[in-house]
Amino acid sequence: MMIPYILLQTIIVPVIASLFILITRRKIGRKSKWIPGITLLYTTALLFIVAISVYPGGEIHEDYGWGPQVMFGLLADGLSLPVALIINIICTALSFYSLHYVEHRIEIIYGEEDEKTQLSYHTMYYWLFLLFPASFMGIAFATNLIVLYLFIELLVIPLYFIMSYIGYVDRFRVAMMCFLWGIVGGTFVLFGSVLVYSQIGSFEIAELHTLAGNPMVFWIALLILLGLSTKLAIFPLHIWMRWVHAEHPTCIAGLLAVYANIGAYVIVRVLILPLYDDFKVFGLPLMVMALLTMVYGSLLTLAQDDVKRFCAVSTISQISYSLLGLGALTVCSIEGGMFYFLSHILGKTILFSTAGILVYTTGIRDMRQMGGLASKMPITATLWIFGALILSALPPLSGFAAEWVLFTGIFKFGVHANPVGLIIAILGISAVILTIVYTFTAAKRIFFGPLKPELANNSKIRDPPLSMSLPLLILAVISIVMGVYPKPLLDLLHSVIGLL
Amino acid sequence: MDVIFAWLCWIFPLVGVPLSPVLARVHPKLRDYGEVFLSFLAAVCSVMLIPYLFHPEMLPIDSSVTWLTVPIDLNLGVLVDPLSIVMANVVAVISFFIMVYSVGYMKGSPSLTRWWMFMNFFIGGMLLLVLSNNLLFLFFGWKIVGLCSWGLIGFYYNDEKKYWIGGPPPTKCTSPSHCGLKAMIMTSAGDLLLLGGILIIYAYSGTLNILELYETASTWIPEMSKSSGLITLTVVLLIAGPVGKSAQFPLHEWLPEAMAGPGPVSALIHAATMVKSGVYLVARLIPIFFYGYWVAGCTEALSFFILIAWIGAITAFVAATQGMTAVELKKALAFSTVSQIGYMMLALGVAGLTMSGLEGGFTSGISHLMSHAMFKAALFLCAGSVIHTAGSIYMTDMGSLKKYMPFTWLFMSIAALSLMGVPPLPGFWSKDAILASVSASHVYSLFLIALITVAITSFYTVRFMAMTFYGEKSENVKKLEKKGAHLGEPHFTMVVSCGILAVMILLLGFFFPLIEPLLHENFIFSIFEKLHLPLGHHEAHSMLVPVLSVAFIAIGAIPSYLIYISARFDPKGILEKHTSLKALHKFFWNRWYIDSFYYRFFVDGMIWLLPRVVKYVEDPVDRAFHVRLPALLNFKKVYDKIKEEKVRELSYNIIYILIAMLLLLLFILFVVVMK
Repeated sequence: MMIPYILLQTIIVPVIASLFILITRRKIGRKSKWIPGITLLYTTALLFIVAISVYPGGEIHEDYGWGPQVMFGLLADGLSLPVALIINIICTALSFYSLHYVEHRIEIIYGEEDEKTQLSYHTMYYWLFLLFPASFMGIAFATNLIVLYLFIELLVIPLYFIMSYIGYVDRFRVAMMCFLWGIVGGTFVLFGSVLVYSQIGSFEIAELHTLAGNPMVFWIALLILLGLSTKLAIFPLHIWMRWVHAEHPTCIAGLLAVYANIGAYVIVRVLILPLYDDFKVFGLPLMVMALLTMVYGSLLTLAQDDVKRFCAVSTISQISYSLLGLGALTVCSIEGGMFYFLSHILGKTILFSTAGILVYTTGIRDMRQMGGLASKMPITATLWIFGALILSALPPLSGFAAEWVLFTGIFKFGVHANPVGLIIAILGISAVILTIVYTFTAAKRIFFGPLKPELANNSKIRDPPLSMSLPLLILAVISIVMGVYPKPLLDLLHSVIGLL
Repeated sequence: MDVIFAWLCWIFPLVGVPLSPVLARVHPKLRDYGEVFLSFLAAVCSVMLIPYLFHPEMLPIDSSVTWLTVPIDLNLGVLVDPLSIVMANVVAVISFFIMVYSVGYMKGSPSLTRWWMFMNFFIGGMLLLVLSNNLLFLFFGWKIVGLCSWGLIGFYYNDEKKYWIGGPPPTKCTSPSHCGLKAMIMTSAGDLLLLGGILIIYAYSGTLNILELYETASTWIPEMSKSSGLITLTVVLLIAGPVGKSAQFPLHEWLPEAMAGPGPVSALIHAATMVKSGVYLVARLIPIFFYGYWVAGCTEALSFFILIAWIGAITAFVAATQGMTAVELKKALAFSTVSQIGYMMLALGVAGLTMSGLEGGFTSGISHLMSHAMFKAALFLCAGSVIHTAGSIYMTDMGSLKKYMPFTWLFMSIAALSLMGVPPLPGFWSKDAILASVSASHVYSLFLIALITVAITSFYTVRFMAMTFYGEKSENVKKLEKKGAHLGEPHFTMVVSCGILAVMILLLGFFFPLIEPLLHENFIFSIFEKLHLPLGHHEAHSMLVPVLSVAFIAIGAIPSYLIYISARFDPKGILEKHTSLKALHKFFWNRWYIDSFYYRFFVDGMIWLLPRVVKYVEDPVDRAFHVRLPALLNFKKVYDKIKEEKVRELSYNIIYILIAMLLLLLFILFVVVMK
């Protein structure tokens, strides 16, 4: 059973749907909000079909001619497929979550405008939204550095517009800031790719291994790493995260976490797999930076009172767990790093969206004004706790299994690189305590304790509509499945990374 | 006899977790009885494993299924050996009685669905912990029970004043949600280090399966000992977990606050089962390090036993002294729990100090675990009933309750006598065995601490019994009487469960001389013969230890009796008279200032640090990137030429990008030319 152009479809179908909304927006009006969800359900189904043929260790490769030097190639193997699948599921969940949220947001900002203007913002959100899954699929499946770069840059565009039109307080400035950081980071990647071309005359990722041993590899890797570091928010390049993640509308918050974290995947795909030996120079520095960022990010998170900014800043430290694994460069730690990446984006989506629910129902962002909300919003509280469990690596959710694989690899590296490696490993695993401190402290501040009278008397404060909570609960269930039975995922990842 | 029972034992309660909300939809009663029934099934399954103890030659049994093959090979399974059978029975049987008790205790609580979910999740997690055949799933269960502990301590998450613990003023009171958080953070600190220790072992041994770890110890322990200090480091990391979970010094400060949870939670999690998981893990690890030191000759491996023994002894003493001053009934019991677990740790520690100490230390530690689980569960359940009736957590609000609650008094007395170590109750046998093995290790400082703690234990036991059931009626009781409140036995499920536990204590006491040899034989068989550990010469039991033990009980009990029951002396008067005693009282009352130190150092330290992180690191970096750097590329002329505000900003930024690109190009040119 093979569906033609199956990988291409996962990219093209959302784009077509996006164009469809754009063109017919006046006619279909508010009904357009259902299109992204349906489209993404379809592509998710496609990805499951791909998964069946990729699972035993196979791969799907599609090539489309695209100019003299550049092939538009797409590759689904054990590494790219799980990444694409989880991201697509998250996009699907968020497209349903958006239904109520966007309406609410537009009403607040543009409530006084006429119906037509409101409608145009409304439809604009949905056609821009669809560019996210398209770009993510592109990044995951790309076999070519230029195509990869293209999709990385493409992501910045919907981000910019969505944020500046329906974001929060300081949205124009922050959207611009995000745009600049995105472009500058992308540029570094581009120049790294150009350098690759200057050496081997090809942009193909499959050809990258011929670079091995070339003295230029150091510079190429450095450029690409620097470019991705701006996305991955490694200290001190994390500085945009605090602003950007806090001011965007929460319905794309989970996607921003993916946007930031997908750099880890690109590092594995472009640098570690083809150029393993040459990349070793960067291993230890990367680990040190990751450790620094982990601790610093956690401290910064603890200092936040704004519930959205809280989630935003915690991303800084969470991404660094993946990087710590990548830096250790053992099979276990790289697979663990990827697993942690997937687990984290699930958890962060849940957490961010729960913060969004809080803002949506209470209209408050400051955690100091919350408290005791669990009695009025039990499902929301449960969701937050699920998110907290994923982030702080407690069973039975996926964070536990991911962290275990990750740190198994890091300790394997550690005992061989005794004592520096071992010290980093122990400090790294100890730093997890800070995550537990901040997630559970926040849970206490928001949901437990006495209910404030002004919250108690507000009848609007209750669990959100099912369209907001159900997608997140499904994500939590996926995380539980991954945590209790991680074999399929790790088999997939191992079929590619295990070749190292 | 079938190994399938070991599987079902932990699967049944876990099934109850998602089932709870489903059954609640059908009918709340169905949910309550269904959930209790599942824990009953778990208890039955665990009892079905007991016959194996009579056929030790069939043990250990390792039954497993593949869970993961790459990148780490791991089979999920159960390990049935004497240790796990004993632990599973302690956990499952006591859990069942506590579940029955909680039907009455939690009656009318609005969030019973959540209650049953957490309780069954706990029982399942705990049974997984003790039955798992590998360290990962042991750790999986370990984390689950920690999570449930957090959820159940903070069960009354709205923090109504009546659920607060601590005080009376000026001593601070703490809210349940705060207590839960404190427990979560303190135990997690230990857990993470434990995971680190497990992973170091894995990095050397390449397996997490417990039996394989034993079997391959001869290869990986010598390998590890090649890097000096590594085994000691691993030992410290490994011990941190049990120290956190079993509330041992210096991470013991969370347990007294954990009493903010409902009564059954304190009985089940914070007395009978979860806090024993640390003891269980230490017992699991003993063969490895025993082998390491006594057979493979790695001197560092001894640090495991020294650390455990001293941590145990110090904890036993420190917590017992605090128990003498407590005024909250449950807190007095909590201090006592910490102290008694210290005894178990001490026994397991001295097991490796001499070659011949292993069987004595191991058996006595585990039998004390067993007897303590029973009498402490009974104590807590009775305490729950008393608190329920008196409507106050303070012992000063009780007094003279004996005539109102005769059954509870009887059951609690049996348990309390066992705690003191009065023969022939199980507490006597197991404590005596511990003292005997400590004295056999010839570390007399440890022995002395253990003996003094015996006296302190009997002092505080008599004290809390007296303050609750004897003496004058307190103001609170009088007030309740006047109001015509129901002063009497609580719901029958509560009385019945306490009664059954009390009968079981008596039975265990009478049959202890029979049970102990059985355990002994099993442990010898499973540890020594299967693992080929050397069996040292066993010293004959001297009569001196039991005599000393009983004498020290009397030394503690008599003054306490005179002060609190016969009221010959007024406790306040004694304190007023002797300033040194008063200072000591204050020291104990403030829990040796360890708790305040933690709050000062960690909590206040964080509060001090966080704004400074933002002020001195985050904001300057932010300014550097978002203000200074753009200002550096100041194209004022271009900037001014463009009139419109928005366009101006945009072009300004585009120039910024262009410059960055130019610099990059130059850089690349430079690199290429350099080549």
